Amino acid sequence: MINNFVFVVLFLLGFYAILVKKNLIKMVIGLNIMEGSIFFWFITLTDRGKMIPIVNGTQVASQLNDPVPQALILTGIVIGASTSAFLLTLIIELDKFTSSTNPDQIGGMIED
Amino acid sequence: MSKTKHIFAVLILSLLGITLLVSLSKLPNQFEYANSIYHHVVNNSITETGSLNFVTAILYDYRAYDSLGESTIIFGAVSGIVLLLSRKTLPVSSHGLSFIVKRTFGMLTPFIFLFGIYIITHGHLSPGGGFQGGVILGAISIIFSIVYGSEFDYKRYSPTTKTLLETSGALLFIGLGFMGILLGGNFLMNLNILNAEVGSLLSAGSIPFINIGIGFKIGAGLAIIFYSMIQKTFKEEVDL
Repeated sequence: MINNFVFVVLFLLGFYAILVKKNLIKMVIGLNIMEGSIFFWFITLTDRGKMIPIVNGTQVASQLNDPVPQALILTGIVIGASTSAFLLTLIIELDKFTSSTNPDQIGGMIED
Repeated sequence: MSKTKHIFAVLILSLLGITLLVSLSKLPNQFEYANSIYHHVVNNSITETGSLNFVTAILYDYRAYDSLGESTIIFGAVSGIVLLLSRKTLPVSSHGLSFIVKRTFGMLTPFIFLFGIYIITHGHLSPGGGFQGGVILGAISIIFSIVYGSEFDYKRYSPTTKTLLETSGALLFIGLGFMGILLGGNFLMNLNILNAEVGSLLSAGSIPFINIGIGFKIGAGLAIIFYSMIQKTFKEEVDL
């Protein structure tokens, strides 16, 4: 229950940044917060309140959490990192040519 | 203008939030695991792959094809960044920090490297793996650039070396995949190269090799991204 609430708050925070902020870097930060909220929600949803899925001989299989969502989220984290690096690169290039990170101003410059 | 837009955004967000909360509260608290892949992985993973870390077993054995796609995405991101931010001159981000910081990191950097290698090679026994250890290895290039100046980073760990490491890591991964086909199995199947007792370092078939390949690929890739992104923030004539 609490994990749904925290997920919704974090997701809306990131979405708010994307909708309202006038700085492309802040929008990328908002995108990252949205990503993080989804990762958090997915991990807590599939958490069974048991041990991490790494055995050292003493644990029994029924005492372990589900490793499949954790592997999925690991993939998601890596892809999120590479996409945000690429987005930041595009912002650097835009800033070089237009010397602005405001999407409204950049849109006006491109129309000219 | 901005005020009304702000209120409109908050209205949309609160509607979206209420919808999300209502729909999420209808989800069951614990999912039924009767037909889940969880049972197969938890019960058979050790005998099938030899890896004590089940997440590693999934990432580099059951879903190794997916990890190949993941590292291809990173390769694409690195290629795009290098293409966009290509330059002919050496970037100067810093001329290095003080003597104390340089000495301290001179002693620390070998241990950071060792820790990264440890995380990579013990990926099938303990938390960690290629991606996590690769990030630690990538941090070494950032330390070189910031603490010793980017000229030192360029000399000691040149972009050519980084590219070589990244492509060799990717080729190791793909080569292990094609070895599976050559030996009469599937693409990226677990070759029983290392078949020591389960729980020792030299176990888990080809998983440690895939870990090493991915680790070097991610570490060099992150170093390339950082090297491409640093800008000229110091004037050339400043002498520190």
